[in-house]
Amino acid sequence: MIQLENVSYTYRKGFGLANIDLTINEGDFVFLIGPTGSGKTTLLSLLYMDILPDSGRVTIGDFNSDSIKKRKIPTLRRTIGMVSQNYYLLDDRNLFENVALPLHVIGHSQNEIAETVEAALEEVGLSGLEEHYPQELSGGEQQRACLARALIKDPDIILADEPTGNLDPVTSFDLIKLLEEINSEGTTVFMASHNYSLIKSRNHRIVEIHGGKLRSS
Amino acid sequence: MNKFLFLLSEGLKNLWRHKLTVFTAVFSVFLSLSTIGVLFIAEQNTHKLIEYMRSKYKIEVFFKDTVTNEQAGQAVEKIKMIQGVYTTTLIPKEEALKVYKSQFGDDITEFLDYNPLPASCVVNIKRKYDGYLQITPIIEQIRKIDGVDTVNHQGRLISRIEKFYEQGLLGLSGVAFAIILVTVMIISNTIKLTIYANKDLIKALRIIGATNTFIRMPFILEGVFQGIIGTILASGLLYGAVYGANEVLRQLTAFTINVQWLFLSWLFLIAMVISLFGSSRAISKFLK
Repeated sequence: MIQLENVSYTYRKGFGLANIDLTINEGDFVFLIGPTGSGKTTLLSLLYMDILPDSGRVTIGDFNSDSIKKRKIPTLRRTIGMVSQNYYLLDDRNLFENVALPLHVIGHSQNEIAETVEAALEEVGLSGLEEHYPQELSGGEQQRACLARALIKDPDIILADEPTGNLDPVTSFDLIKLLEEINSEGTTVFMASHNYSLIKSRNHRIVEIHGGKLRSS
Repeated sequence: MNKFLFLLSEGLKNLWRHKLTVFTAVFSVFLSLSTIGVLFIAEQNTHKLIEYMRSKYKIEVFFKDTVTNEQAGQAVEKIKMIQGVYTTTLIPKEEALKVYKSQFGDDITEFLDYNPLPASCVVNIKRKYDGYLQITPIIEQIRKIDGVDTVNHQGRLISRIEKFYEQGLLGLSGVAFAIILVTVMIISNTIKLTIYANKDLIKALRIIGATNTFIRMPFILEGVFQGIIGTILASGLLYGAVYGANEVLRQLTAFTINVQWLFLSWLFLIAMVISLFGSSRAISKFLK
C-alpha cells in the first residue's frame, strides 16, 4: 500500500508540494495527471524516497519516511520499478546488459540472470533484440526496455513518470496496455502524465495535481 | 560473490569504456611514479656519497704530556663507547716519535733527551647513513674525558656537509610529496569527468536500488586498475633506465647505480594510495 499523510515538501527555490493526502491500495492502477511543473515528479520522488518530506509521512509497504534509515532506502527501491520519460538506459551496454542490471545489484547468478532477462524481454515484446544497443532501438522499444528493467526484479509497485512523454500516440497506447497487463497480475501501477486525452478512456482512478496540491483523489 | 565478480568485471570493462580518461589517469600515475622512482634511486645512491665523505672525516685527539700510554689506552676505550664513533686508533708516544722521524727525518730525542710527543688517537666516525650526523656532541664528549688535551677536527665543515645533504633530501621529499598531491588531483578530476559522463548510469543504479557502495565500487576499482597499470609501466621504465645506465657506466667508471628493487613495492603502495584516494574523493563528492 502507498500512503501519503499530510505531506509537504519545498525546494530551495520555493516550489514543491503542500499537504498531500493520498492512499493507493495494493493492485490499484492510478493515474496522476497535471500540467508540467505541477509537482508530479516531486510526488514520485517522494515515493521512492529520492527526497524525504519536510512534514507529514510517506508509507510504502513496510517502509515509512519517518523511520527509514538512509542505508535502507536501496532496499525499498528494490520493491519499486521505476519507468521514466528519460529511460536512463546505458548507451555502452546492450539491451540484455541494461535489463540485467537490477539483478546484478541484488546479486543473482549468471544463469538466473539469463533466464529472467529472457522472460522479461518476452513479456514486453523485445525478444530477439538482446544484442542491440539503446541507440539502435526506437523510442517505444527503449521505453519497453525501461519497463523490462523495472519488471525484472518482480516489484510490488511500478512508478511511471511520464512514460509516454517521448512516444507517439499509438506507441503510448500500447505502453499503457502493457502496464495494464502487468497490473492485472497484481502489481500496483502509479503513472504520472500530463496527457489527459491518453488516459481518460482507460477507466482507472485519476488523481489530479495542480500547483503542488491534489485537487481530487 | 556474484556481486563482487560483477563489480570486478565492471571495473575492468570501464577501462575500455572510458579509454580517454583512463589514458590520462594512467599517464599521470606513470609520470608521477617514474619521477618519484628517479628521486628514490637518486636518494639511495647519494647515501653512498655521504658515506664516502664520512669515511674521510677524521678527529685527532691529543692527550696531555703526563698521560701514559696505558692511561691513553683507557681513554681510547671510553672514546670507543661514544655514540657515532666507528673506529679508534691509538698512537702511543713511541709510535708518534716514529711518525715524526719518518716525516721530518730527525730524531727529536737526540736533542732533548726525552720524547716530548704526546700519545694521541685517531677517531673515525660511523659511515652508514641513517640521518643527520651531529659532530659537535661527539667532540664535546671526547673533550670531557680525563687526560684529553686538544681535539683537532673539521667539525664546522662536517656539519655544513651534513646539513646541506639533509636539506637536499628534504627538498627531494618535498618534490615527491608535491608530485603525489598533483597526481591525486589529476586522478580525482579525471574520474570526476568520467563520473559526470556517467550521470545516467548513476541515476539508473540509484533508481533500481543500488547502494552507494555498489555504485562507488566500479569507479574505485577502475582507479585501482589505473594505478596498477601506471606502476607496471613506471617500473618497466625505471628498470630499463637503470639497466641501460649501468651498462654505460660500467664501460666508463667503477661506479654503478645500485637499486634495492624492493622499493618498487613502495611505488605500488603509493600508486594504490593515490588511485584509491583520488577515485574515492571524486565519487564521494558526487554521491553526497
